[in-house]
Amino acid sequence: MRYLMMTKPSATNTAPNENLFEEMGKFIEEMTASGVLLATGGLEPGGMRVTARGGEVTVTDGPFTEAKEAVVGFALVEVRSEEEAIEVTRRFYQIIGDGDGVIQRVFTS
Amino acid sequence: MADVHRTVDAVWKLESARIVAGLTRLVHDVGLAEELAQDALVAALEQWPESGVPANPGAWLMTTAKRRAIDHIRRAQRLDRKHEQLARELDTRQQDAPDQSAEPDAEQNDVLRLMFISCHPVLPTEARVALTLRLLGGLTAAEIARAFLTGEQRIVQRMAAAKRTLAEERVPFDLPAGAELAERLSSVLEVIYLIFNEGYSATAGDDLIRPGLCLEALRLGRLLAELAPHEPEVHGLVALMEIQASRSAARTGPSGEPVPLHEQNRGRWDPLLIRRGFTAMLRVRDLGGRPGPYVLQAAIAVCHAQARTAEDTDWRQIATLYEALVRLLPTPIVQLNRAVAVGMAHGPEAGLALVDALTADPTLRDYHLLPSVRGDLLARLGRHDQARVEFDRAAALTRNAAERAFLCRRADELAATTTTAAAAHGSTLGQAAQDFLARDGLDPATARSYRQTLRRLCLALGEQTPLAALTADQVARVFATAWGTAAATTWNRHRSAVRSFTAWAELDVDLAAGLDRRAETRPRAHPIDPAVLDQLFSRVDLPVRERTLWRLLHESAAGVTAVLSLNVEHLDLADRRARTGNTWVTWRSGTAHLLPELLAGRSRGPLFLADRRPAPARMPAGGDLCPDTGRRRLSYERAEYLFKQATKPLDPTGAGYTLRQLKPRD
Repeated sequence: MRYLMMTKPSATNTAPNENLFEEMGKFIEEMTASGVLLATGGLEPGGMRVTARGGEVTVTDGPFTEAKEAVVGFALVEVRSEEEAIEVTRRFYQIIGDGDGVIQRVFTS
Repeated sequence: MADVHRTVDAVWKLESARIVAGLTRLVHDVGLAEELAQDALVAALEQWPESGVPANPGAWLMTTAKRRAIDHIRRAQRLDRKHEQLARELDTRQQDAPDQSAEPDAEQNDVLRLMFISCHPVLPTEARVALTLRLLGGLTAAEIARAFLTGEQRIVQRMAAAKRTLAEERVPFDLPAGAELAERLSSVLEVIYLIFNEGYSATAGDDLIRPGLCLEALRLGRLLAELAPHEPEVHGLVALMEIQASRSAARTGPSGEPVPLHEQNRGRWDPLLIRRGFTAMLRVRDLGGRPGPYVLQAAIAVCHAQARTAEDTDWRQIATLYEALVRLLPTPIVQLNRAVAVGMAHGPEAGLALVDALTADPTLRDYHLLPSVRGDLLARLGRHDQARVEFDRAAALTRNAAERAFLCRRADELAATTTTAAAAHGSTLGQAAQDFLARDGLDPATARSYRQTLRRLCLALGEQTPLAALTADQVARVFATAWGTAAATTWNRHRSAVRSFTAWAELDVDLAAGLDRRAETRPRAHPIDPAVLDQLFSRVDLPVRERTLWRLLHESAAGVTAVLSLNVEHLDLADRRARTGNTWVTWRSGTAHLLPELLAGRSRGPLFLADRRPAPARMPAGGDLCPDTGRRRLSYERAEYLFKQATKPLDPTGAGYTLRQLKPRD
């Protein structure tokens, strides 16, 4: 089963240091090697807002949800169980520290 | 919210490979390592619900397991001085380099070693699969049993036997090199692909796909690709699995029926997995070298994945790849697939020529895809009558209901387009066979025997084949494929069925014309030359059990099974006889002289005992076990083997004699 993990910016806005980048790189490498991590990436803050109404598609630069609600990173993982998804997330937060996120099951077929 | 037990299980599955691998390096015994790791798991299950899940649960498990490993070595140290040294080394190693396995490279190599040892060629394939899922995937015996639709007890036994074998054979925990590497690696790849295939095209059960096993195999493959990045075949296997897995959703229809590749909705193929497959193939290309079987199969999968519609498929390229594959892997299935590709690339005639060459292969005798492929090629050639017969045959051979319906539909479509229905030719083979078997005056045993013969003919030639079109050549080919290697009596029995059928149907041709009657060898054993027997019986260096058994067989002229089934309490030593079943076994002075020594005071249980006690898992029925010594009854196979060995030097042909030959000429 696949899960999409999305992270929001951390409440205590500590600047990332070298150490964190290195640990994060190791973690991503390990998760990729074990076949768990399928895709991951960081997201441009904000992005564009798209609205479709009556066949009309509008793209605007705002208004956005509150900055702390915006998604800033994602990871698509393939795991055996919900618990495994949680366990992978736990390790992620052990590296980056405080923060909030969402895990959602991705339905494949 | 998930409870702690499930969290422990998830952590365990993510970590077990590393933990067991690290421990195996410490204790040099994969079975022991696994037990120690299990102990740590049990400790987690006991402590975490109270104390909460530790911050780094993987490290916690590793530390706990290592502590147990050191305890174990210390305990063993009191028994063995060699271990003492080991423990001291271990202590210093722990102090000097606090945790050697923390180095990622060492740790990764340990996991790779564990993979090689789990797939070691000394183990039977099933054990390799079970051990790999257990040690690398962290699956429980119950989970493995469920995946393979077998009992948990069997998996437990299989793994226990595997660990024992690894210990007995002293399989080292190291990385193979040179020529051995290729062989060992191919065993690992085979195990992973087996797991994948069991998940992808479930050979048993209700579901066509078992996604759990596919995922385990994919993970193992991806892991191996990271551990052995310079092996093109590893990336080939990963590419093959990723691309095949990309079609999972499109492979089954709404009611669970299989959807063939060319009818699949390609929009449902998973682009993410296809891309991963392509990436793996790029790594293969970068490594270069001559492509192996997995790389070739992956390249074929790539061709299919690149075609936007079934019509766009580059069949010429696929046919070329199959040409290469068939040279490396000349199995009948690969050859059949090549025939399909050649039929698509170079026309049905070329394909048919290849398929026809396979019809005599006994391994494909009951394989429904052979007539199905043949029918397809015939239909494209406009030979609809023959095509219909082939589809009927395929439908009769398949065990899958959805597939049968599909094949019957194809046969019916062809029937509608042809005017030369079988009825125009008179009776069909199927109808004639039914009438032949249903007629009066056939005794049941004969009918049963005839039915076997005609069933085989109908399956091989098609029930719809017009009776008048049958030739002796066709029948001879069926016989060669089906019973070419069977015993002469079997061959002759089927031959007389065909003769009887030909006579009954009043056919113009003799269908048995191509079938020679085979000489039936008399299965009677030639008695051993008395001079040889004298030599044999004078050898007092042999065990008393063997000498008594041989004497008794010779003097009593009784059957081997009857003699081996004798129990001590059946013996009438004074009258030199014993009752077994409804008959008496009697002997003379030679045996009578040896018996007291053989009995050695025993008063009950089997007369002839095996050398060893049976393993707990292979405990025989009570009657075949000696209540005093715990040993089991001597088996026919073992007795026969011992006799052969002992008589090899006496036999002019060097083969040795069989126990039945001890019986004197009547």
